[in-house]
Amino acid sequence: MIQAAPLAVQGIFVAVLLAAVAIRRSAPLAAAVTGVGFVAALCTIPAAMHGAAIAGEQFDLSGATYGFWAVILSVGFLLSVMGSGYWRGAKNLPAEEFFILLLVATLGACVLAAAKDVLFLFLGLETMTLAMIGMIAYPRHRPEAAEAGIKYLILSAMSSAFLLFGFGLLELATGSLGLADVLAAPNTPMAVAGLAMVGVAAGFKLSVVPFHIWVPDVYAGAPAPSGAFLAVVPKLAVLAVILRATGLPGAALAPGALHVVSVVAALSMLAGNLLALQQQNVKRILGFSSIAHLGYLLVAILAAGEVGRVAVVFYAVTYALTMVAAFGVLAVLSNAGAARDAETIADLRGLFWSRPGLAAVMTLALLSLAGMPPAIGFIAKMYIFAAGVHQELWWLVGTMIASSVIGLFYYLSMILAMAQRQAPAPAAAGMQAGGRLVLGVVSLAVLVLGVAPEPLIALVKAMLG
Amino acid sequence: MSLCLLLAIPLLGGCLAWPADRLHPHLPRIISLLALAATLAVALPMLHGTSFWLADFSVPWIPAFGMSFHLGLDGMSWLLTVLTIVLGMFSIVVSWRENVEKIGFFHANLMWSLAGTIGVFLALDLFLFFYFWELMLVPMVFIIAIWGHEDRRIAAIKFFLFTQGSGLLILIGILGLAFLHQRATGVLTFGYFALLGHEPGGAAGFLIMLGLFIAFVVKLAAFPAHVWLPVTHTQAPTAGSVILASILLKTGAYGLLRFVVPLFPTASHTLAPIALWLGVASIFYGAVLAYGQNDFKRLIAYTSISHMGFVLIGVFVCNALAWQGVVFLLIAHGVSTGALFIIVGALQQRLHTRELSRMGGLWGDLPKLSSFGAFFVLAAMGLPGLGNFVGEFLILRGAYGAAPLITILAAIGLVPAALYSLIAIQRAFHGPVREARAIADFGWRENAMMLALAAAIIWLGVYPQPVLDVAAPSISAMGVTP
Repeated sequence: MIQAAPLAVQGIFVAVLLAAVAIRRSAPLAAAVTGVGFVAALCTIPAAMHGAAIAGEQFDLSGATYGFWAVILSVGFLLSVMGSGYWRGAKNLPAEEFFILLLVATLGACVLAAAKDVLFLFLGLETMTLAMIGMIAYPRHRPEAAEAGIKYLILSAMSSAFLLFGFGLLELATGSLGLADVLAAPNTPMAVAGLAMVGVAAGFKLSVVPFHIWVPDVYAGAPAPSGAFLAVVPKLAVLAVILRATGLPGAALAPGALHVVSVVAALSMLAGNLLALQQQNVKRILGFSSIAHLGYLLVAILAAGEVGRVAVVFYAVTYALTMVAAFGVLAVLSNAGAARDAETIADLRGLFWSRPGLAAVMTLALLSLAGMPPAIGFIAKMYIFAAGVHQELWWLVGTMIASSVIGLFYYLSMILAMAQRQAPAPAAAGMQAGGRLVLGVVSLAVLVLGVAPEPLIALVKAMLG
Repeated sequence: MSLCLLLAIPLLGGCLAWPADRLHPHLPRIISLLALAATLAVALPMLHGTSFWLADFSVPWIPAFGMSFHLGLDGMSWLLTVLTIVLGMFSIVVSWRENVEKIGFFHANLMWSLAGTIGVFLALDLFLFFYFWELMLVPMVFIIAIWGHEDRRIAAIKFFLFTQGSGLLILIGILGLAFLHQRATGVLTFGYFALLGHEPGGAAGFLIMLGLFIAFVVKLAAFPAHVWLPVTHTQAPTAGSVILASILLKTGAYGLLRFVVPLFPTASHTLAPIALWLGVASIFYGAVLAYGQNDFKRLIAYTSISHMGFVLIGVFVCNALAWQGVVFLLIAHGVSTGALFIIVGALQQRLHTRELSRMGGLWGDLPKLSSFGAFFVLAAMGLPGLGNFVGEFLILRGAYGAAPLITILAAIGLVPAALYSLIAIQRAFHGPVREARAIADFGWRENAMMLALAAAIIWLGVYPQPVLDVAAPSISAMGVTP
């Protein structure tokens, strides 16, 4: 059973953390236990990979799954380090539960990413989502956070309902709960309706157009570390499922469905970037930008093939690193005890002169999101273009170019705001050692992998086998 | 290996210059200047290589896509690299006395932009070329956005959107080219030599060529893709304007010469008539608009559009003589326009205005500045005996056999050039003194810079053969296509 050790380790650490918090309430202790839990789970991955292959019914324990686990757990670890600094600012808000929720949500994401069975897929999804609602609404002194939590709760419940109904219909059509059987459902109206409902639920989780309405409010209301989690982890987990599903035999979508996905991709790219143009709130901008990035990812998914699959994973890793860096800067600038985070463009103004290091990290992250060298986003975007050109998806590639140019505008506006000369002194910001450590690590990765991406490409290829 | 030094020294110099201003405000300048001098010391001896490629360096970079870190230096890229380094040194010296805020970061951006440009001139792998192409852009955006004049924000955004947006066309183009090549031969590569001689035919080949053409013409700022240039050049600080006009514009021409014409001989032959007419349009458009400007810096920016029209014509008449002229004009224009931007920058520093209507009669107050100004305006106009004339003449001479009508029109375009040049001299330096001024003329630092640039222009004008000899092998290797 060594193959599923990362899941078990996380489960154990959830129990350990609960016990630790019950014995002694201490945020640093909780953060430390969480961090150790993530590291321990990460450390078991190599051993788990070397275990004999088992053909389980519930979990797909392939290289790709381990790869996604590694990324999800790393993000969880980085956010636990970042969170320990962030929550220190809130004097009368105990932070221990945040770490419990973080650990549980990550466990749920790992289960979801590995699920090969509809039941476990749903189990993982709900574990992750319910914990995330708590994470979003965590700073209870902020009305926006509570509002964001409620919004996310209602919309998640709705998408879960779609998912369950869809799976129900598919089960009725095929008589099986296995993902492979379900996807290979015969082309009956019932099965098509079921697949469509599952698609709607996936669209919610990926926040692509037209299921993106919740994104700006929830991103803006959530505290920065939760925002980073929300932006990255659920998407990684759902992408892992989609990547596995598209690799299954008999999973080829009908041409009509492919057209629908293409339209969704194009609309996401355009809408995400266009809607971001007028925003003044950096979290909202990052939210809209994530819609556009998921649109790009859909292009890679549509391109399929070997290049496309590698492109999906490479882009997902890039996106994770970059979003953690961008939200991380906001987290380091913010104080959890304050009425709101440092989240408007005005808060970033003059950052180059007051906090040059943070500004450099933010610039690198924004360049990466914009797809400029020397950041890794450049290589990632090239990879998707390559996949698109390879499969001759010309009009999608064209849309991607157009929307990228639109996107440049608001990324550049943020960079220019940071570079403005006469700067008002930024609000008293915490000196969060943990957050800055995370930023250092992440930005180094963004830079180094942007200059020499080959190791990551080779790793992704090996993982996808 | 020494090719890597050409990139590493400026990059490293920039990294050192950034924090150096904490120690002493002059230290970033000294570090940058020393780094560029060291780069020049590496670059100059390379000319004495024996083979056609003076130097070559290649290691695998992203083997998954057949991309390699392949640098190479031939005569043409040697000339442009040396031009980059030398004008980079001038752009540092020009702001020596100015009170620049955050001087360390300023010089870091300057050095990184120069490093990116050198990389563009050296790269022999298409993806690596694109990488440097994008890399030189960001520091320049910073230079404009932070240290520019009053409308710097708009200028920076325009510059960024135009050049980056068109850059994506290059990316799609080279990806398409590489995949078509893979389909034909089974090898996925972005290497320049591997792709040379494998022009994809049909509509796909033409579209790819068109994408690259548009991107390079945007950078070259020929009509009608010049929209970003006037505001960007006007708003950039002096050092930024010098680099933009003297070096960055040249990367567009270099791209056309090095990649578009050799990689797509048939497709570019199909496009040539349109390109030639665009060249003529640029010549006239730039000249007429320059004539109407009141802002001295803007005027020079428009003359650049006009001169780049000649370059466009020279590239697309496709014969060795015109190509020689193009390379020569790139260098001469780099020197003369760089000098003009330095002079206008000095004027703005003294008068706090760039408006010609507030100048006039400067010759009495600033005899040295004014005489140098008049000299370089005449040089830019193409006065025989000075560098630009040689380049323009070679282009026209080469073009006449292929496209007489175009050549005649382009030659007529020299008349408005004379008009705007003389008007600029008249309005700025001659005429009645409108305002009482108490300002200092050029000091020894500025005099020395101007004398060096003037000497270079005169040398290029009266004894152009050495430069032509250096460029000749590259030109003849490009092959004279139909």
